[in-house]
Amino acid sequence: MERACGIITCNYSVTHPSALTANRPPASVPIAGRFRMVDFALSAMVNSGMRNIGLIMPTNYRSLIDHVGSGKDWSLDRKHGGLFLLPGSAFGSQRTGARFLIRDLEQNVQFIERSDKPFVILSSASCIFNIDLVELVDAHIASGADITVVCKKIDHEEPALQALTVDENDRVTSLHMGASYGELASLDLCVMSKETLLQAIAWGRGVDYLDLFEAMAEDLGRIVVRPFVYDGEAMAIFSSDDYYKCSMRLLEPDVVEKIFDPARPIHTKAHDNPPAKFLPGANVNNCLMAGGVRVAGTVQNSILGRDVIVEHGATVRNSVIMQSCVISEGAKVDHAIIDRDNTVAPRVELRGTPENILIKGRGF
Amino acid sequence: MLLAGGQGSRLMALTKAIAKPAVSFGGKYRIIDFALSNCANSEINTVGVLTQYRPYALHSYIGNGAAWNLDDPDGGISVLPPYATEKGGNWYAGTADAIYQNIWYLEGQDPKYVVILSGDHLYSMDYRKMLAQHIEHHADLTVSVMQVPWEEAPRFGILTADENGQISKFTEKPAEPDSNLASMGIYIFTCDVLIKALREDAEDPNSEHDFGNNIIPKMLAEGRRLFVYEFSGFWKDVGTIASYMETNMQLLGEEPEFNLYSKSFPIMTNAPTRPASLFGKEAKVDDSIVGNGCRIFGHVEHSVISTDARVGAHAHVKDSILLPGARVMDGARVENAILGENAVVEEGAVFGSAGEDTAVVGNDAVVKKGDE
Repeated sequence: MERACGIITCNYSVTHPSALTANRPPASVPIAGRFRMVDFALSAMVNSGMRNIGLIMPTNYRSLIDHVGSGKDWSLDRKHGGLFLLPGSAFGSQRTGARFLIRDLEQNVQFIERSDKPFVILSSASCIFNIDLVELVDAHIASGADITVVCKKIDHEEPALQALTVDENDRVTSLHMGASYGELASLDLCVMSKETLLQAIAWGRGVDYLDLFEAMAEDLGRIVVRPFVYDGEAMAIFSSDDYYKCSMRLLEPDVVEKIFDPARPIHTKAHDNPPAKFLPGANVNNCLMAGGVRVAGTVQNSILGRDVIVEHGATVRNSVIMQSCVISEGAKVDHAIIDRDNTVAPRVELRGTPENILIKGRGF
Repeated sequence: MLLAGGQGSRLMALTKAIAKPAVSFGGKYRIIDFALSNCANSEINTVGVLTQYRPYALHSYIGNGAAWNLDDPDGGISVLPPYATEKGGNWYAGTADAIYQNIWYLEGQDPKYVVILSGDHLYSMDYRKMLAQHIEHHADLTVSVMQVPWEEAPRFGILTADENGQISKFTEKPAEPDSNLASMGIYIFTCDVLIKALREDAEDPNSEHDFGNNIIPKMLAEGRRLFVYEFSGFWKDVGTIASYMETNMQLLGEEPEFNLYSKSFPIMTNAPTRPASLFGKEAKVDDSIVGNGCRIFGHVEHSVISTDARVGAHAHVKDSILLPGARVMDGARVENAILGENAVVEEGAVFGSAGEDTAVVGNDAVVKKGDE
């Protein structure tokens, strides 16, 4: 589907910053053992045939550039189009919920103007999903809406997501931050025509609004916004609590089947990690294990990132261990998120509780 | 120059549809990864890959060589299958003939030295060290050799060399060997010497156009400077199902001889990007390696499980190799077996057993319950 160009905004902060985002933007937080958050939006676009995608960069972009590079791993190193790394404004947004900063879009208006596609798909980088955007654009065209927003009916609180109120004509009548039980929560993924976006940017500039949707919330009488209700698997991550819950959900086989549907693979930076290795006496169950992992001890209900080593007699339970960590002999890790490059020394115990997950920032 | 045209007929079902260098190995690799990674890790940026037998999978896998950093504007990778000319066309008739038919490629690239490799060997080797020795000896040809046990020497091409490593004799499969230095089929030639030798060999109607049997003996007879380069480390030419099985199994255990985990000499691959592997609540995995994208719900013991393979609930896989995409369904049993790519062992079926020859099914095969 070459009907749309894409913009993924990465220049925002999360509701509850933790050690995981101390040295990296939310878009490049490692997830599911070998991916980064931005991979899901990027892959959805690429798998829908889009080949002209801009990433609005955060100020601390090092890890994000390291990850996406020239876009080769997403087939976005093209002669025409491809991946564009677009400048974001200096401080991004410190405010909760602003994911589509008007000043960032305005700064990159050439990217939108130069696109020869009629539509633009906007996404944040904080949601895990595997959505067919061809269906989204088809629905958008069929309904004749100005903007179509992907949303999900939620059965829990999502304080960092926008809730949509929809009238009997399937038209969004109000938007407010913080979705709760039974509401439609926006997945920060929407489609609109190029003209609509350019008009919204121009209009938003005039009234000095910060966020595109904030600007629109005032104007829903004029702009026709419709929901595209997605009932597949989608998880937004805006806090370390979200991160942990989502990670544990990723241990469920049916969630894995949906998110990592081989027909629409999630692309990521290729690494030549050897296969995961399990030594005699290893004990693993209910885990997700990336390449290069070597396990001699016990791992349960956990995600191990690339090249993690779990030595003899070490135990990892209910935890997420990011790339290149070493859990030494006899060490015990439970209810913890251990960021990359940490070594847990022999016989050391790192324990959180289900209510209070222990988070260890990246080692150096 | 990487010779990758071989069929590997003794690998039976595994090479029915694809050339031996494209056969999967070690959970996420294909056999040619090792030679290509050696080139990349040795900073060789110009590689010609000679293909012949069922080349599609191999060509598509090699692509533009980017997976091995060989998408290099200065040389890069060139796939060289047999071709037709105005005088007709010929298959590659032997290792030397394959290079001879692409002599224009060598002349065009115009290197000082040429490394000739086989695309179906498993090893990690820094060719720079071998080249340094070649240059130091002002050699015309350096042959990489390994010491083999004396009793096995009659199975190899044996080189006899003096204390400086200068070769005096080459004997193919000698009944009574006077040396235990076996040729590994890895050669470094000084390029102009190679081109001359290939031209002369092509003129010789009695030649089989083979490096070991024809080129080396002739160069020795001419009094050329031939040296051995002694390699010590893991090297395997997996010619048979038994040795393929054994070499895969050698990757298991605490301290395997063949190290896939080196950071300084990484094995690069064009394996697809797949998610981390999922191990279910009832999964049990012991002494095994598991590639990406697998789903393991049953019991895996002393086995190699490749990319995207599945092991269902209450299934048991023991002493076996599952190639990419192979599936062992719920309650099935697989022992001492190799399942080809995307092969399926259906629910409750049994395939292979201990004590017999390794059971093998080819790509896309289906083993039904009752087939045993």
